[in-house]
Amino acid sequence: MFAEQGNNRNRVKKLCFYSVLTATAIIFGFVESLIPLSFIAPGIKLGLANSVALICLVAKDIKGAFLVNISRILLSALLFGSPFSLLFSICAGMASLLVCSLLIRSDSFSIIGISIAGAVVHNIIQTVVAIFVVGVGVLYYLPFLIISAVVSGAVIGIIVMIVSKRMKKITRFFG
Amino acid sequence: MKLKKGDIIVIIVSAVLLLISFFIGLAIKKDGKTVKIYEDNKLIYEGSLTKQKTVKLAHNTVNIEDGKVCMKKSDCKNQICVHKGKISNSRECIVCLPNKVIIEIE
Repeated sequence: MFAEQGNNRNRVKKLCFYSVLTATAIIFGFVESLIPLSFIAPGIKLGLANSVALICLVAKDIKGAFLVNISRILLSALLFGSPFSLLFSICAGMASLLVCSLLIRSDSFSIIGISIAGAVVHNIIQTVVAIFVVGVGVLYYLPFLIISAVVSGAVIGIIVMIVSKRMKKITRFFG
Repeated sequence: MKLKKGDIIVIIVSAVLLLISFFIGLAIKKDGKTVKIYEDNKLIYEGSLTKQKTVKLAHNTVNIEDGKVCMKKSDCKNQICVHKGKISNSRECIVCLPNKVIIEIE
């Protein structure tokens, strides 16, 4: 019975942790929309919200990363988006997280590389979806998106590296 | 902060994808826009925007010059189409409602 209680407590702990992470991700997504990066090229963003899922991946919690990312995408689409933006972000988000979670299994990638790969895949998948929705013309735009993905992916990777280093001191989430 | 071997591979792969997408973008590039002129819902004229041409219709005259299109003359009362001036961007259009003429850039 005690074991069960301990197990329950662990589950509640995890639930709380994931909820906090999801809430953080949604806030990040909102804060990011306030940063006007569109003057560089329209549609470019930093991808701060994705850093939360990456933090889960650093903790080798792939299931948690998917959980947090799916709930983040659904909730922020419900709050700020539309069915179309949901289509874009769920396809791209899942594909990029899949790639990230495959890369994290191998030891030869640092979190910066994983972040860059995720960002590039995210942009490519979004362009592919946009080809179906808008037409082939959007392909022109992909080179710019890839350049921005490499830069923002590196920035997010560095942020995640610093944050997870600090977080290791305050939580046992990282094992 | 250390870059591992895999990170270099990621960056190289992104660079390759960048080049591929750039060349695909160039390959599918259509040069120039086309002008379409409809009269009474029938396509009367279709041609490049860069080609200089004057198209005479039943009640209107359309001028295509220097990559711009304008309605030169119209015998309609309000002359809205003539006052619209020159258009050059894709998806812009000039409409002359009384004569049922539509000029479109694609």
